[in-house]
Amino acid sequence: MRILLVEDDLPLATALHQSLRTEGFTANHVADAKSALLAIDTNECDMLILDLGLPDMDGLVLLKQIRQKNLKLPVLILTARDSIEDKIKGLDKGADDYLSKPFDVNELIARLRVIERRLGTATTSTITIGEVNLDCASHELTVAGKFVELSRKEFMLLKVLLEQAGRIQSREQLESKLYEWGEEVASNAVEVHIHHLRKKLPDAFIKTIRGVGYSIKASANLEH
Amino acid sequence: MSIRRYLTLILLSVITLITFAAAIQGYRSSMAKATSVFDNQLRSLTFVLVDITDLGTQSIQPQTSAAFVFQIWQQDKLIVNSHPALDTAITEFKSEFSEHNFLAQRWRTYGHFFESSKKWVLVAQPLNSRFELSEQMILAAVTPLVFCIPLLTIIIFLLVSSGLRPLRLLSENLRNKKVDDFSPILLQNQRNELSPVLDTLNQLFERLNAAFSREKRFASDAAHELRTPLSVLKINAHNLAIELNDPSNTNMQYLQLGIERMSHVVEQILLLNRTNPEQYQGQFEYFDPASLCQTVITSLFPQIEAKKQEIELLGKVAKINGDEFSLGILLQNLISNASKYSPEGSLIRVTLKSLNKRVIIQIEDTGPGIDESEYQRVFERFYRIGGDRHNTNVSGCGLGLAISQHIAELHKATIKLSRSKQLSGLSVELLLPQSDPNE
Repeated sequence: MRILLVEDDLPLATALHQSLRTEGFTANHVADAKSALLAIDTNECDMLILDLGLPDMDGLVLLKQIRQKNLKLPVLILTARDSIEDKIKGLDKGADDYLSKPFDVNELIARLRVIERRLGTATTSTITIGEVNLDCASHELTVAGKFVELSRKEFMLLKVLLEQAGRIQSREQLESKLYEWGEEVASNAVEVHIHHLRKKLPDAFIKTIRGVGYSIKASANLEH
Repeated sequence: MSIRRYLTLILLSVITLITFAAAIQGYRSSMAKATSVFDNQLRSLTFVLVDITDLGTQSIQPQTSAAFVFQIWQQDKLIVNSHPALDTAITEFKSEFSEHNFLAQRWRTYGHFFESSKKWVLVAQPLNSRFELSEQMILAAVTPLVFCIPLLTIIIFLLVSSGLRPLRLLSENLRNKKVDDFSPILLQNQRNELSPVLDTLNQLFERLNAAFSREKRFASDAAHELRTPLSVLKINAHNLAIELNDPSNTNMQYLQLGIERMSHVVEQILLLNRTNPEQYQGQFEYFDPASLCQTVITSLFPQIEAKKQEIELLGKVAKINGDEFSLGILLQNLISNASKYSPEGSLIRVTLKSLNKRVIIQIEDTGPGIDESEYQRVFERFYRIGGDRHNTNVSGCGLGLAISQHIAELHKATIKLSRSKQLSGLSVELLLPQSDPNE
């Protein structure tokens, strides 16, 4: 995936550029909004990492201009501003994700992978955690090498949990994902599907956080 | 003393003083006038008397009660005397006015010599009568003024009050201003004299406003300036760790730990400044505390998971009115503390409940808890239990509870520490006043 990094702080851009390369991304770096617009017009890029405090233009204004040109280009905002209003503003203006500085590189990479999978540009679409391996393209699940059958809804829930491994997904969040898929959702639908999923997965693979939601431990590697 | 009272009193005193000065002056001039009138009268009297005596002395009936006495002398002989007790000349034989004492009174006397009949006519009038007349005249003039003083007081008071109205409006306006309201003051019917005051005040407000917003901006400016280089450090450390490819390298571990701590301290200092109740302008609205707790637990979950701790959220309450952003920080601090200061495998329990019109968010853990003697001190800035002997594996800077205290004050809430009855560790209760959404 080709990433355009729009960041005016050169040391940050250089370090981040190296991290992205190490993780197998192709990245180009520009230091101001003008060059960014030029790069978007001339070079093909699949995704934008955008710093909001640019010298020649506010990052949110740039985002608006990009949205007017190309609706699909995913944008991840990277900024030192961290108030709720700034976040809401950023997401309202059409950002796909938001990370506050100082951020963890692993966190950034994980979020980039999610966007990559959504775009379908990932070189492989397989998520592996421990013995569990899910192919997002073919909807196939293998546990310890053995093929396991999944319903549509079970696949969807497992995919979300695997993609966000190490983080909690609340019942409401999972429910809204089911709605996105155009499913009729009964009040206890999420619990029922999780119950069925658990039977097909290793013991304690899906963890319940009482009163909050569900999580899958991100101990094993994410492979792509 | 108020300007109104001062002006009323001073105006009244000045008016009274001037009135009496004028009265004294009036008394003097009416005295002079009376003197000349009575003197003329005396002189005319001599002519009348000599004319009458020329006709015959018998026609004059001496009257002891008369307002004046007279004598007519001819060749040193007293031929007519108005008062039997007077047998000597009542004044010198001179044609002039003078004053003499006789008959137990002071008299104004006048003598006139008539060449034709060779007679001296001497007349005298008591001075009393002149004083009485002058006094009556002046009293007649002054009395209405004296009666006017109360009326004058009321009128002056009302006029001064109305003249000072703009000043009163200004002070009321200032008194009703909120602490953080720096908008300029606008007065209707503004007086010229007040314009410079008002202009200066409004300029002052403008400057204060600018200073305050600079102060506020400082936090976000500092945030940007510190966060970006911290990000660089963090990314470089990450890249270096990958290049080294040696997870057991302790230098690398300490480097990353140091960077983590530094970012934490920077964030906490910024938060402490930003949530200062005098500066922070929260956006109060109704929200579900349970969903806020979920969000906070979700964001802290990696840290809790890493320590193999369990966390649970129990109970449900009605919506509360508060600033969700700052309350999120408060809960984050409290729950993060519970995780940091409890050993691996501990249980953290977050409970929501309503009691006596208050919403209580309780965070308990199975950790060691803290000694009751430390309950007060842990809220102090940069205070950490055990001081430098504090477990250095725990990243913290002793600001978390000070920030939480700020945010609690902002919500008129209290933070209560105690020993957890069920989990035996520390229990932190956030007691929030519950307000009716329909109010």
